Amino acid sequence: MIALSHVSKVYRRPDGPPVTALDDVSFDIGAGEFVTLRGPSGAGKSSILHVIGCLDTPSAGTCRLDGEEISRYSDRALSRVRGRKIGFVFQSFNLLPRTTALENVELPMIYAGGRLDRQRAERALDRVGLAQRAGHYATELSGGEQQRVAIARALINDPPLILADEPTGNLDSAAGAEVMAILTALHAEGRTIVLVTHDEGVAAYAHREIALRDGRIESDRRRVVAAQ
Amino acid sequence: MTLMNGLALAARSMRRHRLRTFLMTLGVTVGIASLTILSSLGAATRQETMARFKRMVGTFDTVIVRPGSGAMRGMPSVENTPATLTFADAAAVATIPGITRVALVQTAFNVDVIYRDRSDTPGVFGVSANWTALRDDEVATGVFFSEEDVRARARVAVIGTDVERTLFGGADPLEQTLRIGNVPFLVKGVLTSRGAGPTGASLDNVIMIPVTTASTRLFNRDALTMAIAQLEDPLAGDAAMQRITVLLRQRHHIVPPALDDFTLTSPRAAMDRILAVGATLRRLMIGVAAMAMLIGGVVIMSLMLVGVSERQREIGLRRSVGASRVDILVQFLIEALAISCLGGGIGILVGLGGTEIVTRLQHLPPVLVWDPFALAVALSVALGLMFGSFPAWKAARVDPIGALRS
Repeated sequence: MIALSHVSKVYRRPDGPPVTALDDVSFDIGAGEFVTLRGPSGAGKSSILHVIGCLDTPSAGTCRLDGEEISRYSDRALSRVRGRKIGFVFQSFNLLPRTTALENVELPMIYAGGRLDRQRAERALDRVGLAQRAGHYATELSGGEQQRVAIARALINDPPLILADEPTGNLDSAAGAEVMAILTALHAEGRTIVLVTHDEGVAAYAHREIALRDGRIESDRRRVVAAQ
Repeated sequence: MTLMNGLALAARSMRRHRLRTFLMTLGVTVGIASLTILSSLGAATRQETMARFKRMVGTFDTVIVRPGSGAMRGMPSVENTPATLTFADAAAVATIPGITRVALVQTAFNVDVIYRDRSDTPGVFGVSANWTALRDDEVATGVFFSEEDVRARARVAVIGTDVERTLFGGADPLEQTLRIGNVPFLVKGVLTSRGAGPTGASLDNVIMIPVTTASTRLFNRDALTMAIAQLEDPLAGDAAMQRITVLLRQRHHIVPPALDDFTLTSPRAAMDRILAVGATLRRLMIGVAAMAMLIGGVVIMSLMLVGVSERQREIGLRRSVGASRVDILVQFLIEALAISCLGGGIGILVGLGGTEIVTRLQHLPPVLVWDPFALAVALSVALGLMFGSFPAWKAARVDPIGALRS
């Protein structure tokens, strides 16, 4: 599903020396894996997520995603891949304010071409258990509900890959457990999940853990999935 | 992103940011409304000026010959013109090829006209019988005097509607006798009302009598105050003026550089001068309207820029779910266009209403000029594009990573 080969990312800053966020990173993630990226802040977790997520291109090296070599793609081509193959889940949910849950879920359809399919959005909301909250504004929902709406939004174009950046970071443990249950179910359907987290409890859901430090891979190990 | 989706997005965004949308729309509305009102009024004023001028001069295919050199103020009359233009001069002008007829005119504006116990001082026009044909004057009731009346120096008069109202006050004036400067005249007809002239003064406060009668019985004067030569070819005014000048100089023994004792004017040239004054005023008004449009554009641009920086997160999110830079650019442009077209549409409605109100207040004819409205539609679109593209470009440049992290 994902193949990073000698990927480096250097951020040039207008003032001060360039910052190396990723330094010759290589790894493969197979289809259907559930992987966590761990490491202290500044280790390069987010940079990897951005490269895999087609939000950023590597300074050097190549990145293959679902068979496509994306490291030299144009903005337009990257956007297309992002819209069709990747679902993002963020720590801070990033729902549009003054917009209903249903409209938030519909958002990715706008850019995928074709018509807005309201029923599909309703099904996606139903999938995360929020069918009855479709007409509510994002601000009227609890944190856990907002994150579930965000997951429904990530699912609407049926992407094979879910990228989650600290999805439970802003939630209490009960809501976090609900979110992780949904992600686990998505994994069980065969989707590939890449999850950035600090939380040992969340990391325990994954089958594989890649630890980063200073832009390099520190360890890459499979683990036994804890009882859920 | 399809166009329908783009429009739906714009509609949602406009609903989400009602105040901002309202202010931007208002900016465009004010600009478009002032443009349409000012230019419609300009056009209406121009048309009204032309109409009034046309009412005064009757036809444009003429050359007006007046005694005396140089410009003069007001209407020529027996009191303020030298006695240099004679009946014989006018007869000679009528023989020039290309001139179909010449109307003879003697005017006075200080002669008392009395009917029973009422009196008035209208303009008294001694004119030839071809006056009606040449000036497009029509007789509403009764008849105009004939060539025979002119030859016989008949004491007959045709009155304007103002005189009819002042002296007769609703009674039938036909076959009544009124006294012009103590000479009795029989009323033969009433002219059709001509309305206001270019200065706004009424053109109906007149009495027409045969020019021969005026000359011998009233003014005791052989000189005309004006002769109006009608041209066969309306565009041959310059050539005709040249021929008239040669003829009159010859008859009056004038050799340049001595000054002519007559002045030729063409109504067309006079109207062009009048309209030129109006054109300057109109340009000024268009300038004011353009300024209002510019302000509307700047309002759009600054509020959109505020919007872009407030909506960084939203832009980042849209990018993460598949929007390309072009999608974002197009989305913001559509928003700008939707707002400027909405504002433009309202502006056009306000402009139509405002034009209607002001033309009524100014007693201008209800002239609807479509040009400014067509222009307004084009300008609304142009305004949205011009002042929306920079904010839209800024929006497309937003870094999704930074925006999502914030």
